[in-house]
Amino acid sequence: MVFLFVALEILSLVLLSNNKGYQRSIMLSSGNTLVGRMYEATNAFVEFFKLSEANDNLAIENTQLKNRVVELENKLNSLTDTLNNVSWKNIRISPENEYAYITAKVIRNTTHLTQNYITLNKGSLEGIAPDMGVIGDDGVVGIVKSVSPKFSVVIPILNPKIQISSKFKKNNYSGPLVWNGKDSRFASLNDIARHVRFSLGDTIVTSGLTKNFPGGILVGTINDYNIKESDAYYNIQVKLAVNYRTLTHVKVINYKNYSEQSALEKQVTDEDKKK
Amino acid sequence: MAVALQNILRFIFLILLQVFILDNIQFMGYINPMIYVLFILSLPVRFPKWALLILAFIMGLIIDVFSNTAGMHSFALVFAAFLRTPVINIFTSIDEGSNPTPSFHTFGVSAYVKYVVILVLIHHFILFFIESFSFLHLTLLIPKIIISSTVTILLILGLQSFKSK
Repeated sequence: MVFLFVALEILSLVLLSNNKGYQRSIMLSSGNTLVGRMYEATNAFVEFFKLSEANDNLAIENTQLKNRVVELENKLNSLTDTLNNVSWKNIRISPENEYAYITAKVIRNTTHLTQNYITLNKGSLEGIAPDMGVIGDDGVVGIVKSVSPKFSVVIPILNPKIQISSKFKKNNYSGPLVWNGKDSRFASLNDIARHVRFSLGDTIVTSGLTKNFPGGILVGTINDYNIKESDAYYNIQVKLAVNYRTLTHVKVINYKNYSEQSALEKQVTDEDKKK
Repeated sequence: MAVALQNILRFIFLILLQVFILDNIQFMGYINPMIYVLFILSLPVRFPKWALLILAFIMGLIIDVFSNTAGMHSFALVFAAFLRTPVINIFTSIDEGSNPTPSFHTFGVSAYVKYVVILVLIHHFILFFIESFSFLHLTLLIPKIIISSTVTILLILGLQSFKSK
């Protein structure tokens, strides 16, 4: 009897430790197809009540996009004369800006645990792959951890397993953003040295120094900060732009040069190790 | 036969209630009642211990699958299941031959309340302790355990008193 008890507890601990690593325990997560389907069904019901709010947000975003189109069209027209001599094939897009969005729906989301996860209703069939960045209408949400053909599981900022490389919009000083495990509205920005000048309400955006996110996507604003006499770094509290309690739709960022950039970087670090 | 069927239905009902309703309650970020413990609490007193442990493990694992926490709920529930028999022996004196289902009626009100309180507290303590293992905030953990346990206990006692009528 005691033997069975100990065996079952050890089995639980093995499962627990496997899951804590950055591993693909897809069988036992809500990316699992059956569980995913059930959540999708209940979510369809819950979402019905959020429709009007989602609609408003879409309308606002739509207007902003239309304005942007008009603005760009005007700029283009004013440049037409100079552009007549240019072949479009020669126009070069910088490689770090070649990305596309995949929209997905949130079908499972927690905010009250110390390690939260989000499940999306799209997976590898739609082109989602691990390590892709995820953003909402308001700002950064998290990073894809693992995918099945139809579902994917995202680690949001509300999970101490990930850090989002962020910077001040106004002066480009960057540092990792991590969650403190307490409140789903706030996270802390680390490694900002004493000499950096900033003030309450300053905007924090993604640094673009990782392959998950392009630079300049909104993360949040500074809500509070302090520094002790003996510390070299500030203790900064950031109010997150995304409200995780009402998150329904997100965009997954597919960075098209991900593998090329990774391969090149890996090649260099591998060469260094050999020396 | 009727008892077996009753327990199978309770198993399914509690999982659905836990996963689709209670797991979505996030009041103040503290309260997350774990009603599924009631399944282990409600198996007949002389239910074989080995089967009790295995059922606890399976139920914990199912809850784990739904909440992305492989091993956490199964560890806590197997622990509570293991301590169930000793706790019953401390608070009650059941006749040798009989095999009642634990309730207000069979245990007596005071013994049943003590039985529920002790096992729910043990379960919640272990569960929330494991959850924040890598991430220890005792000042945050203790209120979380106490408030969630209280709500779970009230839910269980409420559900049971409703049933006995």
